[in-house]
Amino acid sequence: MDVIPNEEEQMVKNLAREFLEAECPPSLARNMEKDDLGYPPELWKKMADLGWLGMALPEEYGGQGLSPTYLGLIMEEIGRSIAPVPALSTVVPAGTIAQHGTEQQRTNTLPKVSQGNLVLTWAIQEADPRLLPENIHLAATSESDNYILTGTKMFVDNFVCADQVLVAARTAPESDLNKGISLFLVDTNSAGISSTSLTTLAKDKQSKVYFDQVQVPAINLIGDLNQGWEIAREMLDLATALICAQMVGATRKDAEMAIEYAKNRVAFGRPIGSFQSIQHLCADMIVWVDGGQLLTYEALWRMDQSLPASIEVSQAKAFCNDKCVATCRTSQTIHGGMGFMMEFDLHLWYRRVTAWSMRLGTSFEHRSRIARGLLDQPGRVRLGVSIPALQ
Amino acid sequence: MDFAYTPKQESLREEVRQFIADNITPEMREEMEESGIRRRGPQVDALYKKISENGWIGISWPEEYGGQDGSRIDQYIVEEEFARIGITVGGAGSGAPAILAAGTEEQKKYFLPGLINGEIIFALGFTEPQAGADLAGLQCRAVRDGDEWVINGQKMYTTAAHYGTHIYLMARTDPDAPKHRGITIFLVPMETEGITVRPLWTIQNEPTAPLGTTYGDRRTNEVFFENVRIPASYMLGEENMGWYVGAMGLNLDRVGASRYLLSVKRDEDIVNWVKENDLDGYSISEDPAVRDRLAELWIEAQVCRLMTMRSMSLVEHGGSFTYEGSAEKVWSPEHGVRTTETIAQILGPYAQLLNGSEDAIEDGVFAHNLMGAFQSGINHGSTQVMRDQVARRGLGMPRG
Repeated sequence: MDVIPNEEEQMVKNLAREFLEAECPPSLARNMEKDDLGYPPELWKKMADLGWLGMALPEEYGGQGLSPTYLGLIMEEIGRSIAPVPALSTVVPAGTIAQHGTEQQRTNTLPKVSQGNLVLTWAIQEADPRLLPENIHLAATSESDNYILTGTKMFVDNFVCADQVLVAARTAPESDLNKGISLFLVDTNSAGISSTSLTTLAKDKQSKVYFDQVQVPAINLIGDLNQGWEIAREMLDLATALICAQMVGATRKDAEMAIEYAKNRVAFGRPIGSFQSIQHLCADMIVWVDGGQLLTYEALWRMDQSLPASIEVSQAKAFCNDKCVATCRTSQTIHGGMGFMMEFDLHLWYRRVTAWSMRLGTSFEHRSRIARGLLDQPGRVRLGVSIPALQ
Repeated sequence: MDFAYTPKQESLREEVRQFIADNITPEMREEMEESGIRRRGPQVDALYKKISENGWIGISWPEEYGGQDGSRIDQYIVEEEFARIGITVGGAGSGAPAILAAGTEEQKKYFLPGLINGEIIFALGFTEPQAGADLAGLQCRAVRDGDEWVINGQKMYTTAAHYGTHIYLMARTDPDAPKHRGITIFLVPMETEGITVRPLWTIQNEPTAPLGTTYGDRRTNEVFFENVRIPASYMLGEENMGWYVGAMGLNLDRVGASRYLLSVKRDEDIVNWVKENDLDGYSISEDPAVRDRLAELWIEAQVCRLMTMRSMSLVEHGGSFTYEGSAEKVWSPEHGVRTTETIAQILGPYAQLLNGSEDAIEDGVFAHNLMGAFQSGINHGSTQVMRDQVARRGLGMPRG
C-alpha cells in the first residue's frame, strides 16, 4: 500500500508538465476555440514523438506498453494545461483495438496512432445520452461483405478532425445471450455520413453524426458480432478514468490560480487570502481535488492490475463531476468580477471542467451504478473491500 | 503507486480478526460498556495484555523500545480491526510520536515499553477553559524551582484523566515570550500530589452508547493543578519548545484508523441494514432517492479511506506532511456527520431511538451517533482550525 506516485510515475508527470508549460500556453486553447480542426497538428505530432499517444499501446505497434496509470498521468497534465488536442478520443479507442482488434486491424491502426498520423474517436451516445445498451438504436444490417449503418449519434468528440470513428451499433435485439450491440471502425469520410457541429460550453469540437446507409466492410467489426457492449463498457470505463484524470489536472490548476490570486489581491488593506473566509474556501478546494485525484488513481491502478474497476471508476467520476465543478466555481467566486472577464484566462478552465462533468456519465448515472453494486446483490459490504459491479 | 496490501498484511488482518472472534466475549463487551470508557476492568486489562503479547502495539516503533521497526501500515491494520469493535489500540495518541521525536533516551526506555504493554496510559493535557482552538493561548503555568518545576492551573476535556497513569501536559513556562515560544511539555504521573480530577459528563451519558458508536466518551474530566512539584527530568524536549513538539505529535495523531473508521462505520451499517431489513414492507433499498444518497455517501467514505492511506503512505516514506493530516481531518469528520444526518432522514423516527428503547435499530447506534458524530470534528483540532492549517501550511496563505 503506497498511494504516492513512485519516482518513475512522478518523472513522467514532471516531464509532461514541463513540455506542456513550454508548448501549450492558455492562448493556444483560446485560439483553438475558433479553429476549424480544433487542435494544432504540430503540437499533436510532438506529443506523438514524446510517445504519449502510444503510451499504453503494445511495443510491436510502436507503443510503449505502459499501464493505464501512465496514460492517466499524461491526461492529468493535458488537463492541467487544457491542451486542445484529441488525445482522449484517440488513445481510448486505440486501446480497445489493441485489446480486441484483429491482427489486421491493429496493424492498420495502431502504428499510425502512435506516430500521430491517425485521429480517432468513438460514437456511442444517442438521443437518450445515458450510457446503456438499450439506448443504442443506430442499426447495422449485414449485406454480403458489408454492414449498412443507419441512425444518428450524438456528442461525438472531435469528429471534425477524426479519421476513424468506433461506432456502437445495434445488430440484434437484446436477448438473454447478449445486448445485441456490435462495434465497427468506420472511416469518417465514408459515403452516407454527414454531421453538424454542436456548440459546447467548452467551445471544443463535438458533433451530431448522421449515418445514412453507410457501407462498412465486415472486416471492420471489432470483437464478436452482438457482443460489443461488454467491450464498449470496458472502453467507456477507461475513457471515464482518463477524463477524471484530465478533470483533476485542470481543476488543481484552476484552484492554484485562485490561491495565487488571493495572495496578491488586496482589499480592506490586506491580501484577501489572509481572510479566513477565503482561506477556508481554498482549503476545501484542495481537499476536493485531492479526493478526486485519489479516487482516480485507485481506479487506474486497478485497471493496471486487471482487477474489476467499474465501481471505482464510477466513484471517481461522480465525485469529480460534483467536486471539480464546485472547485472551479469556487475559484470563480474568489476571483470576483475578474474571473468573469473574457480577457482573463480563468474561464477557459471553468468552461472545460464543467463540460467534462457532463460527459461519460453524469453523477446520477454513476451513482446509480454504484447503488446497484452496493444494494442489489447479497452479502454485507465492508469499506476497503471492492464491490463487483452489476451491469 | 500500489493500492493493495501485501499478502503478509492481508494475513495479519486475518489473524487479528480471528483473535477478535476468539477473544472478545459478550461479558467483556459488557464490562467495556459499563465502565463507559475504552478500557480498564479485569477482563479488558487481560485482553490488552494478550494484544500486546501478540506484538500488535507499537509495531512501527524502534525495536530497542519494544517495537518492531515495522510498518505504520501494519499498525494501521491492527488499529482498524480493533476500532471496528470499539477498542482503541496501538496509536497511544500523540504522546508516543512526540517522545520518539523529542524524548531523552531514559524517557523513551521508560514510556514506550509501558505504552506497549498497557501499563502506561496517557491523558492528553492540552486544552484549557480559555484555550481550545487557540491552544497556544494556554495559561497553565510551570515555574522552575531549582531541579523541579511547580505547576499551577487547570486543564479541561481531559478524557483519560480518570484512568490514565500520566498526563501529557502542555504548560506555559515563559509568559513574556511570544505565545508559541513560551510553552513546554511535561510527562506527569497522575498520582502526583496536588492533582485533582473532576468528572464532566457528556451528552452521551445516559443511556450508554453501544461500543464504537461515537468518538466522544460518556465521561471526560477537568484537571486541577495546585502546586504540583515534579522533577526537571519530566520535561519532554527543550524548555519553551513544547508547542513544536506537541504540534508534531498532534499531526501524527490526526492520522489513524479509529478516526477514519468512526467516520465511515455508519456507512457500512446503514447499507447492510437496508439490504437486510424493511419497514413493514417498505423496502428502503429500492427507494431511488435513498439509493442515490447512499451511493454518494459511499463515495465520500472511499475518500476518507484514501486520505488515511495517503497519510500512512507519507509516514512510511518518512516524510513530514504539511497539510495532508489536516485535510483528512476536515473531510472525514464532516463526512461522518453527513452520513449520520442522512441516516436520520432515511430511517425517520426509528433513528431517534436510543440504546435500550423498544424498537431501537441496531442498539440505537444511529441515534447515539447523532450525539457524537460532530464531536470528531471538534476534538484534536476543529475542522475550522484544520482548514486554517491546510490554507496556511499547505497553501502558504498569509496570516490575518
